Amino acid sequence: SKKDIRREVRSIWIDSSEEFIDAAEEGDNLPEVIDEDEIYDLLRSITDPEHPSTTLEQLGVVTAEQIKISGNHISVRFTPTVPHCGMATLIGLSLRVRLLRSLPARFRVDITVKEGSHQSESALNKQLNDKERVAAALENTTLLDVVNGCLATANLRGRDPIDAA
Amino acid sequence: MRLGRENAELTGHEDRTWHLAWNPKHPLLASCSADKSVRLFSYGTQNGLLDSPKFNPATSIPSVHSRTVRSVAWSPSGKSLATASFDSTVSIWERSSGSDDDGTASSGEWECVSTLEGHESECKSVGYSFNGSLLASCSRDKSVWIWEVQPDADFECISVLMEHTQDVKCIAWHPKEEILASASYDDTIKLYLDDPEDDWYPFTTLTGHTSTVWSLSFSPSGRYLASCSSDLSIKIWQREQAPGNRGEKWTCQLTIPNAHSRAIYSVSWTIAQEASAGSDEELGWLASGGEDGRINIWQIQAPEKSSGSNSSLRYSLLVSQSSAHGVADVNAVAWCPRDGFRDLLGSVGDDGLLRVWRIEL
Repeated sequence: SKKDIRREVRSIWIDSSEEFIDAAEEGDNLPEVIDEDEIYDLLRSITDPEHPSTTLEQLGVVTAEQIKISGNHISVRFTPTVPHCGMATLIGLSLRVRLLRSLPARFRVDITVKEGSHQSESALNKQLNDKERVAAALENTTLLDVVNGCLATANLRGRDPIDAA
Repeated sequence: MRLGRENAELTGHEDRTWHLAWNPKHPLLASCSADKSVRLFSYGTQNGLLDSPKFNPATSIPSVHSRTVRSVAWSPSGKSLATASFDSTVSIWERSSGSDDDGTASSGEWECVSTLEGHESECKSVGYSFNGSLLASCSRDKSVWIWEVQPDADFECISVLMEHTQDVKCIAWHPKEEILASASYDDTIKLYLDDPEDDWYPFTTLTGHTSTVWSLSFSPSGRYLASCSSDLSIKIWQREQAPGNRGEKWTCQLTIPNAHSRAIYSVSWTIAQEASAGSDEELGWLASGGEDGRINIWQIQAPEKSSGSNSSLRYSLLVSQSSAHGVADVNAVAWCPRDGFRDLLGSVGDDGLLRVWRIEL
């Protein structure tokens, strides 16, 4: 059925352990409430590609103030640690993949770096929002391994690993 | 006017469907997907009309591609199918010998008869020239390759055009002449001609879009070219001088701003299906689809004669179909090129489905 196919398609992107189930697909007409705080919780415990023990929250790369939701549109801005940060593409890709895997398919996500925070701002923004480039990047197993590494602790959602255990 | 659905949905792909192509001679449709496969669908016809049940999965081509198949294109004869993949190759498919030539789905197996290598990274688009003698491909490696189609599924690269500064997203051949167009992540469109004394060369660059140009489609007469972009606009470019003239210019005659609310991934042009007053067959209808999940159908019209010589083209939105693929993006739209079936529009989306629509006047 159509529902099965859509589920199958989405299963390519979505971890079985993920938090959200698309309420509309479950026959429930009340979609779950997803607000800025919820998005922040999804993103805050992603780790830096170069410092696997440091979260993007600790580095100040993502903040609750830089997330905006309007209807089905989500805008996430992030602040690279330094203006020449070579990891900014990977960080942006990790943010995008986390939201792709966690949110219902109806959402459209724009990911951009904070204005003036990176020397290649416009190139970065363009690349992170080109679905074809993102799709091709995620077929690269080396790159995907790095992204999955950054996402390994994402489900902590801001909690301390020791408390969570 | 509205879009009526001709089929519930054509399933089979296990991931995002990127592109589709109608066979120009036979009742076959090809689609390709991130699941690395290519699927063919047949449709029944009776006395030149669509029969019921209308569309059926015909066959899945056991893909030789190791990554996403991004684009598909039929040769004008309908006998060969070209596929472009993120694995950086183009494959050519033909039905095995000994099969019927009646185009029915039951005839022979599709086999990969040739693989074209040369691109250094993801191949994004492929297409045959109007008479099938040339094939063009483009890639993230910024290049456009032109191949000569030789007998026995042999292809010889005759030109490598390195004109764009970024990924080349799409190529399109002119419907009646050997003119090639390419669109890029560098926001520009380039047009190429063959210099009989020398090599293929870019004779003009069309600038005006302010973000990635995703798709191109020539008008049926070849006098106009449509382009669509992440800048949310569709532009119509018009040929200014006589065919074959080296100095010919293409200028933007119409911009449809905010044609969609998100990136526009695909445009497809067909002759107008309605001979009502004010319709102009040469200009016809343009379908567009994109990230906002909509399919829009635009009527492009000539300037009103009374309003002076320097007035430009006009447009009106005939149909706007929201949620064409549920909550998913629409990745490609394509009109059926066969006589009697030109009111059929195919679409594919991130939901992995292929849908066929019919214009209902």
